[in-house]
Amino acid sequence: MSQGRSGRADQSVLIKKNKVYCISNHHFFVCAILLLQVLLFQNTRALLCAAASLQSQVLTTQMPLGVLLTSRQYRSMPTHGIGKYRHLLPKALPKKKKDRVQVKQIKAATATEFGVFNVCVSGYDMTLVEHYSQYIHNLCNHFDIKVDESCALPTKSTEVMVMQEQGTKMYVDAVLKTHERIVQISEMKATLFPIFMEVVLKNQPEGVRLCVKQHTEADYQARFKTRPELEGLLAKIHN
Amino acid sequence: MAAPFSRLCRPLWRITTTSTLNKGVRNVSSSRQQWSAQNVKTAGAASPWALHGALCLQRLPVVSQDGSPIEEDFMELMHLMELERSLLSDHELRLLEDAARMSRKQEEDYDSDEEDYRDNEIVTAQDLEDIWEQKPKQFQPAPRSQGKHYFGSDHVFKIFQSYKTCRMFTNYSTGVDEKDVSSSERCLADSLILLAKKDVGSQKLWLLPQIQWQTGETLRQTAERALASLPGADKKATFLGSAPCGFYKYKYPKEIQKEGSVGAKVFFFKAVLSSHKHLPLEKNSFAWVKKEELQDFLKPEYLKQVRRFIMAL
Repeated sequence: MSQGRSGRADQSVLIKKNKVYCISNHHFFVCAILLLQVLLFQNTRALLCAAASLQSQVLTTQMPLGVLLTSRQYRSMPTHGIGKYRHLLPKALPKKKKDRVQVKQIKAATATEFGVFNVCVSGYDMTLVEHYSQYIHNLCNHFDIKVDESCALPTKSTEVMVMQEQGTKMYVDAVLKTHERIVQISEMKATLFPIFMEVVLKNQPEGVRLCVKQHTEADYQARFKTRPELEGLLAKIHN
Repeated sequence: MAAPFSRLCRPLWRITTTSTLNKGVRNVSSSRQQWSAQNVKTAGAASPWALHGALCLQRLPVVSQDGSPIEEDFMELMHLMELERSLLSDHELRLLEDAARMSRKQEEDYDSDEEDYRDNEIVTAQDLEDIWEQKPKQFQPAPRSQGKHYFGSDHVFKIFQSYKTCRMFTNYSTGVDEKDVSSSERCLADSLILLAKKDVGSQKLWLLPQIQWQTGETLRQTAERALASLPGADKKATFLGSAPCGFYKYKYPKEIQKEGSVGAKVFFFKAVLSSHKHLPLEKNSFAWVKKEELQDFLKPEYLKQVRRFIMAL
């Protein structure tokens, strides 16, 4: 059907899901037919084709190209969207800054499960201590035991002082450093514990001290540095 | 005729075995456990099974095991590689400087004013090293297998100027003690289990020490009583948990079976020996054995159940 030239500027066809809003007077008839087509076809591709065909018909009447902001034509291509993979990747959360370390609630023990306890490994030889603590951690992973934390405590230096043969003065003979590693375990079943302990004990190397104890608030606070000025101010407030 | 003879040769009891309560065991055992529970239920409210608590007392290894030849070779290789890649320490740098200074002094056009005076010290690095090397010679390491004194796992002296850790145990003497089953100091590199000889019925059998359960106590307390009843009373042991590690069920022979008693069920609890002060036990009634030696002592059916929870690591 031939249409005469029209001076109408606004002719925009919006495609919103299955409805086509046609704001054109001239092409009302065309729109009506296409609307019918659209309502009949639920398929999006057919819809797009219908819209495309509408547009193609519309465009033949020498309209300015930028006016008709209908669906972009390439979406009708069968290969549209080929090569898209971003939507298949897991959602990567934006990296947030580290907020203040919160004090975690210490879970209490139930009848069948232990609460939170620490396996402390300490000794003078750092390679042995570290390897042993790594061994314990890997053992927990293997047994599906939940490991809350695996950290190190600050190294303590011990000076060995020897008395001189003649005289009363002591002089430093050696400096021994004690290294300590902690593996914090929570929610361990009471039936698994004896097996775990036995494996850990039997593989303890010489020169390494093993200690298994309950985790307390005091242990947690001991890891933090003291803040002398804050404590001074607090003391002043309380006085 | 083979069949009647074999029946005679079998042990006096018909021993029926069931699953263990060990959590680490695979799914097969849990279904069999249900079968045994049902069996008990049909017997009635007062169970005809006598309950016993048994103690699996272990002495943990004191010394680490020797590596296999491949392990030893590999360890040497790693040490060598580490040594080659390491940086020189302060002490070694001082040694090199002293040596360089010595060689400079020997030259003809030596001018002592050119030296940096702060580097000159009375005691040279080489002297220090000599003093240090003399010190370990005053230390006598204990032999690995014999004797009452051995190094506990509390302390190891690492002498820092030599880059390999000193082997504290230089003598590896396999003395008579290895075969002496009644001593708990044999085989320091393995874990040992305590066995007791007990009269059961008309026979004397080697068993893990066990004691009858009394009403009102938990099975773990029964095991603790079994520990206390052992002679050489100052055995301090730590129980690893309140959950039993193994289970064994046996029926009494037909003659003894009455209305109310069909057999006995034994629950095993693991404990670890914590004090080493011990008195020699009577040879024929107690033994400390390794896992491999268990088959020489225990009956086959009993052994099959006991082996499941004993780890030879």
